[in-house]
Amino acid sequence: MAFLQRIGVISVVLFGALTFTHQVNAGDELNCTMCHKHRGLSRIDENGKFRLFYINQELFANSPHRRNRCSDCHTDIDRIPHKPAKKVDCTQECHLTEPSGKKKFSHKTIAKTLSDSAHGRYKWDGTLKPHQQDLPDCKDCHDQPLYRPLSFYKGESPGVSKRGISRCKSCHTIGDFAESFYEHITSRLHKSRTPREIVRVCAKCHGDEEIRERHELDDVVTSYKETFHAKMIELGSERTPDCLDCHVVYGENVHLIESSEVATSATYPNNLATTCRTAECHEKASPQLASFQTHVTYSREKYPMQFYMLLFFKGLLAVVMYFFLALIFLELLRRLFPCFCWNKEERCAARAHQALSHDTPEDKL
Amino acid sequence: MHKFEKLVIRDGEKFFYRFSIHQRVQHIVLFTCVILLALTGFPLRHPEESWSRPLYDFMGGTEIAPMVHRFAGSILLFLFVYHTIYWIVLFMKNRILPLKRAGKLTIGSFFQQILSMEMMPNKKDLYDIIHLWKYLLYFTTRPPRHERMSWREKFDYFAPYWGIPILGPAGFVLWWRDEFSHIMPGFVLNAAYIMHTDEALLAVLFLFFVHWYNVHYAPEKFPAATVWLTGYLTEDEMIHEHYAEYVKVMIEMGREDEIKPQHFGGATYQW
Repeated sequence: MAFLQRIGVISVVLFGALTFTHQVNAGDELNCTMCHKHRGLSRIDENGKFRLFYINQELFANSPHRRNRCSDCHTDIDRIPHKPAKKVDCTQECHLTEPSGKKKFSHKTIAKTLSDSAHGRYKWDGTLKPHQQDLPDCKDCHDQPLYRPLSFYKGESPGVSKRGISRCKSCHTIGDFAESFYEHITSRLHKSRTPREIVRVCAKCHGDEEIRERHELDDVVTSYKETFHAKMIELGSERTPDCLDCHVVYGENVHLIESSEVATSATYPNNLATTCRTAECHEKASPQLASFQTHVTYSREKYPMQFYMLLFFKGLLAVVMYFFLALIFLELLRRLFPCFCWNKEERCAARAHQALSHDTPEDKL
Repeated sequence: MHKFEKLVIRDGEKFFYRFSIHQRVQHIVLFTCVILLALTGFPLRHPEESWSRPLYDFMGGTEIAPMVHRFAGSILLFLFVYHTIYWIVLFMKNRILPLKRAGKLTIGSFFQQILSMEMMPNKKDLYDIIHLWKYLLYFTTRPPRHERMSWREKFDYFAPYWGIPILGPAGFVLWWRDEFSHIMPGFVLNAAYIMHTDEALLAVLFLFFVHWYNVHYAPEKFPAATVWLTGYLTEDEMIHEHYAEYVKVMIEMGREDEIKPQHFGGATYQW
């Protein structure tokens, strides 16, 4: 009977291994998730405590330990089905090699620091502290965290953050490995150039008339600078799009700027709507937004609507302003010659009246 | 009909009633919004100028200044609607209801009432403009005699009625661009952009040069007219700007013998 049971288990294991391999984590050599992916996998242990053995693979894939194999931490398990596993020892060496010292990675140094701290298990004279059960080990404070979005230390200026680097140096102690690796990573997480600088970099060539002529290019820098996108950037905004934001496909390497005639380009007519509606940009917009014209030149042939609207408003401005400015100028001038008139009779009458007027003698010409 | 006396005499000086406190408050809200809009809008219109970055930073920078702009714009649009309802209510109460009670309300009399409204441009305004140009070009020595609202003031008044319906909706489309893209194509934003920025330039230039000349820079007004605060014009201002109205009020108040001659730019004229 026991034999039959074992065959049954093995066949289930084999079936599962063949069917579900595509879901299995790369580090999951023993195919542990075949069982542990089931939400209900649990039991009541010897102490009457409810234990859940379910592993949410999505959470695990986003955790710092995602590259560890199950057996790296659960060293006592070498076959399935298995007996109740021992408690994981975080200080043991795992398969990872710490890149600065080329040694097997372990949390031993952290454990040493912890043991030297107020939370350590020993008194300064080497004797055990009382109430050992109250003292924390790793898992009392650390659950399996998820990687959070890039956090910024308060008030830090550009360069190596002391507070940031201290977290690297607790493990990667040898040489300036931590410093150079920190810079390597963070320089890729932050934009190294402000949007304003990016526009300037592109304008080095695209703003050069000779280069444009040689390559038959439009003056896209000038027309871009007419948009609110460019104007906000000029005033210091970092949230409005520069050249790269629209000319590189979202998530693609920034070096891959393609002509708008290439079907995979971000500015290819069919892709424009997707580009405009990229996350953090016009997410809520409809694809119709893409008919917005970004590089407008106010030429009558290419952009008639803009040309005639501009003509109308400039014309209106000129008519209104010239009319009133002329009026103001003439009115100020008139005050200098209040009694003058082309008509001689009227002029003489005004002057005579002015001479007689006792109300405002100081106003005589 | 007026709650206030048309003519108030204090310490021997005459003051002529012009704007109610309600109207003065509306004007204060109007110019506060317009000034805020200009200060938060023009740096964005000309970001490459040396003054624009410091001014924009002073107004809150790229995060806050747009909010200030949108807030002031919303208040201005609200004021525009409020003011329109305000004069319609006044018009119905003061002009149409009395007619209706007297049983004289016809389509003809209704339009007659509309055309005779204080702010409505009329034939006298056209004659006044022609007269003014004759005066400015030295064909006559007597300036025009304006009634309670001169054609310039009517032009000032109707400027927002042209400007706000253009600036307001265009501003709203640019503000809610993502939402509007569901009901209109993206190139409408190109049109809204031109409408908003170019009409704003006209409005600000007009206010700065023409309106401020009328109430600030003109020699008899400098440094500032006070009617927007007090609601009253002095006798001098009244004679200078609204001579026809001045004479009318003086006669109405039984002070015909105290009427002073018209004066303008240093010259005086018999009335």
